[in-house]
Amino acid sequence: MSTSGPLQLGFIPLVDAAPLIVAQEKRFFAAEGLSVSLSREGSWATIRDKVAAGALDGAHMLAPMVLAASLGIGSEPKAMIAPIALNQGGAAVTLSTRLTGDGDAGARLTHLVRRRQEEGASPLTLAAVYPFSIHNYLLRHWLAGLGLNPDVDVRLTVVPPPRTAALLGEGVIEGFCAGAPWNMVAEAAGVGQTVVRVNEVWPEAPDKVLGVTEFWAAANPAVLKALIRALAAAGAWAADPHNQPELVGLLARPEFLDTAPEAIASGLAEIAFAGAVNPPRREQAGWLLEQMARWGQVGEVAIDKVVERTWRPDLYLAAQGG
Amino acid sequence: MRVLIIDPDPARAALVAEGLAGIDPLQVQVAAVYHEAEAAAFQPDVVVVASESPDRDTLESLREASAVNPRPVVMFVDRSEPGLAEEAVRAGVAAYVVDGLSAARVRPVLEVAMSRFHLMHQLRADLAKAKADLASRKTVERAKALLMKERDLDEEAAYRLLRKLSMDTGRPLGAVAADLLAFAGVLKGGDPT
Repeated sequence: MSTSGPLQLGFIPLVDAAPLIVAQEKRFFAAEGLSVSLSREGSWATIRDKVAAGALDGAHMLAPMVLAASLGIGSEPKAMIAPIALNQGGAAVTLSTRLTGDGDAGARLTHLVRRRQEEGASPLTLAAVYPFSIHNYLLRHWLAGLGLNPDVDVRLTVVPPPRTAALLGEGVIEGFCAGAPWNMVAEAAGVGQTVVRVNEVWPEAPDKVLGVTEFWAAANPAVLKALIRALAAAGAWAADPHNQPELVGLLARPEFLDTAPEAIASGLAEIAFAGAVNPPRREQAGWLLEQMARWGQVGEVAIDKVVERTWRPDLYLAAQGG
Repeated sequence: MRVLIIDPDPARAALVAEGLAGIDPLQVQVAAVYHEAEAAAFQPDVVVVASESPDRDTLESLREASAVNPRPVVMFVDRSEPGLAEEAVRAGVAAYVVDGLSAARVRPVLEVAMSRFHLMHQLRADLAKAKADLASRKTVERAKALLMKERDLDEEAAYRLLRKLSMDTGRPLGAVAADLLAFAGVLKGGDPT
């Protein structure tokens, strides 16, 4: 793909797409000699399929998605790798303001769920953004902590993030777990209140990574190194508080997030982009596989083998070496 | 076979539906957005979805939750035919098949959708080109009229002058005409649009 024409990289309109957007607009790709075309995509499924089919060279991906695609869970198996992690933080659970208010929102939710069960009413619907995401695992973990079984006591669904606030307002869903800025958008619209943030539960959970196929990485080693360096440099730029006003303005643009700057700014405050965040850590991938196993998404897998093949700190280090 | 088509573009969805007409028996439902209650009532065997639809992630979650969902869906890709998935991705169409339906029966549906997506793309490109051509012709007419008035030329001579400018600068006639109009506006102190 990359031998002729620009490199095609996909992203989903989220605050944590910042490293790709910054690398393009602040010329970190250009500084590495890369010509890149960014493509905004409407769903994670499409991101995965386009990378798998080679229509995209790489993309902003949910960390567990790299594992799921490689294992062939939820799609045809395609060996994918994570050579750099893009961010930590930003995911949060937001409940409808119908459920929140004074006191413990979790306790109120539990009480409501139990009361509906006694009355024989339909279970409450809560949404995550994708089955293979820390958002799904955070929502499930939080519900389990309240003594609720997420597969039995509530109905879990998936909702495209830009629609979360509207569906919450209409009462189609009673809560959701999504990345920034969508929790802030729901709060600003007065329909939701954030009850738990990933930083409070799993501060080191890997959120998004750069995902490429193993095949592409092997065929384009020099390009991959340049890509990793550009994204790390862009992450450092995004993490610098001095750049925050410019970054907010950049992300808010119609071709990127097309969202209110205020929501983006509050989202940025919860996200780490640089430093220790970037090297893909294998214990984190192992932890993700445990989450997938906890909720029945994977059966018995050789965790070490899968992690070694998909999480590639070696490529990250090699890129830093020049 | 019951086919649910989800496409934010109603014209393209209608085109896909039309293309499926040869398949028998057939029931088609078209929607811009995936709506769970509607889908449950229709009970589709196949869901064809435009890849730009954000609803794909919702459809994936239904498949994932197949243990409790009475209408599990899976993406149709026959492992023995690797090229098909790539082609579908490039066409911008994905299909989900309700469990139990043979993949072979779905293939014609996916093929129709793919060819219709390509057709729609071609129609759009043709339309855009026709619009651009028309706009360009209008610009040339206006530039010609301007030259006739300002330089006191007849229509034929004004056109020849524009042709010459176009050839000398190696730029399309429409672009030269647009420049001429813009500059004339500036010279007259008007708004250069």
